[in-house]
Amino acid sequence: MPAFSIARIGSALPRVRGGARPFETTRARRHRGPRAGEWRWALLFLAPTLIGLAVLSAGPILATLGISLTSWDMLTPPTFVGIDNYTSLFNDARFMTAMRNTFYYTAVSVPLGLVLALGVAMWVNQRIRGISWIRTMYFLPLVTSSTAIAIVWLWMYSPTGLFNNAISIFGISPQRWVNSPALAMPSIIAMSTWQGLPANVIIFLAGLQGIPTEYYDAVSVDGAGRWARFRHVTLPLLTPSIFFTGILALIGAFQVFDQIYVMANPGKPGQSTITLVYFIYETGFRNFHMGLASAASWILFLIVAVFTILYFRTQNRWVHYQ
Amino acid sequence: MSRVSRVKRAISLAAIAVVVAGCGSTATPSPTPAPTPVVTPAGPGPSTIVAASPTANPAAQCGHYTGPAATISYAIWGDTTELANQQKIVDAFEAMNPTIKVNVTVADWDTYWDKLQTSLAGGNAPDVFLMDGPLYPDYQTRDQLLDLTPYIARDGFDTSQLADLGIKDFTAADGHLYGLPRDLSTIALYYNKKMFDAAGIPYPDGTWDWNKLVSVSQQLTKTVNGATQWGFYTETTDMENYWSELVWQAGGDIVGPDKKTLMIDSDQAAQGIQFLQDLIYKYKVMAQPTPGGSGDLFENGQAAMEADGSWLVPSHIAAGIDFGVAPLPAGPAGKATSVNPSGVVVYKGTKSPDAAWEFVKCYTGPTMQQLVAQLKASMPVNKSVLATTYATSFDGGQVFADSLSYAHLKPSFRGYNEFTTALQDELDTNVFNDNNKTAKQALDDVASQLQDLLGQ
Repeated sequence: MPAFSIARIGSALPRVRGGARPFETTRARRHRGPRAGEWRWALLFLAPTLIGLAVLSAGPILATLGISLTSWDMLTPPTFVGIDNYTSLFNDARFMTAMRNTFYYTAVSVPLGLVLALGVAMWVNQRIRGISWIRTMYFLPLVTSSTAIAIVWLWMYSPTGLFNNAISIFGISPQRWVNSPALAMPSIIAMSTWQGLPANVIIFLAGLQGIPTEYYDAVSVDGAGRWARFRHVTLPLLTPSIFFTGILALIGAFQVFDQIYVMANPGKPGQSTITLVYFIYETGFRNFHMGLASAASWILFLIVAVFTILYFRTQNRWVHYQ
Repeated sequence: MSRVSRVKRAISLAAIAVVVAGCGSTATPSPTPAPTPVVTPAGPGPSTIVAASPTANPAAQCGHYTGPAATISYAIWGDTTELANQQKIVDAFEAMNPTIKVNVTVADWDTYWDKLQTSLAGGNAPDVFLMDGPLYPDYQTRDQLLDLTPYIARDGFDTSQLADLGIKDFTAADGHLYGLPRDLSTIALYYNKKMFDAAGIPYPDGTWDWNKLVSVSQQLTKTVNGATQWGFYTETTDMENYWSELVWQAGGDIVGPDKKTLMIDSDQAAQGIQFLQDLIYKYKVMAQPTPGGSGDLFENGQAAMEADGSWLVPSHIAAGIDFGVAPLPAGPAGKATSVNPSGVVVYKGTKSPDAAWEFVKCYTGPTMQQLVAQLKASMPVNKSVLATTYATSFDGGQVFADSLSYAHLKPSFRGYNEFTTALQDELDTNVFNDNNKTAKQALDDVASQLQDLLGQ
């Protein structure tokens, strides 16, 4: 997950509302924000990040906008081609396939990942024997490298691997998993959902533990069962966490690359797992079309921006801050 | 070496060992090429070389460098084994040229090209770097490589001591050499001697054709001790091993000599690719391809024959397979195999062109080529070392060396990667991984797209 997306979603973090602020002085309360002298210090401390963003992120991002209007192979001088790259992308069958695959991946992996993470978070949020061991097991994928995970999953997907052995118990014939055009994307989604689970579980777990037990006590007195407690206490109070993990998952899904790169290359089942970022990488760094690749990154950026804005617009309707 | 093999080797040999173990095959040692025992006499020292092949111009030999002292960088793709191998060769070079220091850097196949392109764009590319034959025009035509022709003329370096096809591959459209071939890879038929002995079938030889391959593969495809033994194995994900050979054996070609004419849409080319599809789905002597999933079934002891590259020799030895090597079976139009040279090229912007040229020159010379031969991971490009040390260093070396006489160069042209991706995607999806289309249908479907790419 690139750093800039973290910065962008910062405003979505649940805020602590109301309550006394015991350490605030009266002067600080009158002058909201830093005073003139403090600005200098604030800027000084922010400088490394600001300079980093300006030089390492903003510069290249703007540069790709310029490059996207050229035909450039990185090694010889670019020629200006206007919006040709953008128009040719929409006539490029491979790009459109990458677009379709990316939407497929996002539409399935984001909801699936959130629902599973919520379930696991609720399960490990219990006081049972050995819970810290169980939690550790769930968090392991978080500290394992993507490549190592992909290689183990490739092994499980192999013709005589774990999954084929498991389904043979039910009399299902062996499947080709990542080598089958139809099953390739679901197979990769299954792996990345498992891999992405712990990050979401941690946030949900924190959200769950932040719900005051008084609320549960109160609804229990009113005669609420398990489902009602979940539906009317847990879920509403967890919406800030869901909103936060949702936006991270959404942006991450549109940018999916490493799982695809490791699992589907080599041995790609045709074009069924090419995603937008993979297309950008291949077009720019393998096929010497840096202009086309830059145009594709801008289209991806616009797609992510539109979805992020739409998602934020829905915030007032379903996110409840305490 | 095919791209896939490089990637496979680069990902993690340990992981492949896991896959091997998981396939329930007999226990095999890790396929990491072990340090191979030197079965041939060590190469002659520098002094011996000069004495053995006296020439009017000592500069044509390695070890007469008079240029400024320099430190040069040498970038290769591969894994840590390959790095160790190259370091041995570099050590030999430094011993002969004490004023030149060489720093070797290694990256896996994909990262290698990413780094190379960005460092070329940034003007700080390695002084000398490894170049894949098919991708050479992409860099040469973009004016990134130093023209070595003046250096060759200055030193009186005799390029005819190097394999002709290797020199041809690195000769640019202007007739100049912007790099020299470093080593060669070619394709032949490996066979498992134990499986042939157990079935009482004579070993493959130069008389074999496609029909013979099919009939023997059918005899050797059977259940042995409850496990499937396949008659045949090859890779389908790269033309090099082994469908381009089949196309040539059927009398077809991939692109014309002008690199602008599409040839793969001919009936002969389709016949070659159809034969590979038939081995899988019609004759059922080869497992349905599961690229990245099954490993090398021949090396795992699950297939009796394998059409594949000379680069597999060290890992087949390390896996403990008792193998022999035969020429690829001939097709309707006769014998054919593929040769793919890797070359060493010099960055045009290097600050030490003389030292870089010295390294390139020495690499193709007898002493360092002797080391290449001993490693067995690729074939030496130096004709005399290939014919002597390499050919006699293992059972099959002579077959690989001889196969150059009927080898075609792996296609090499600007835009190769984009072309081959489009073609291979279609074949993987519809011809090899599943038999949705015949070879002819698939090639017809993708022909216009390929022609457009060649025309760019």
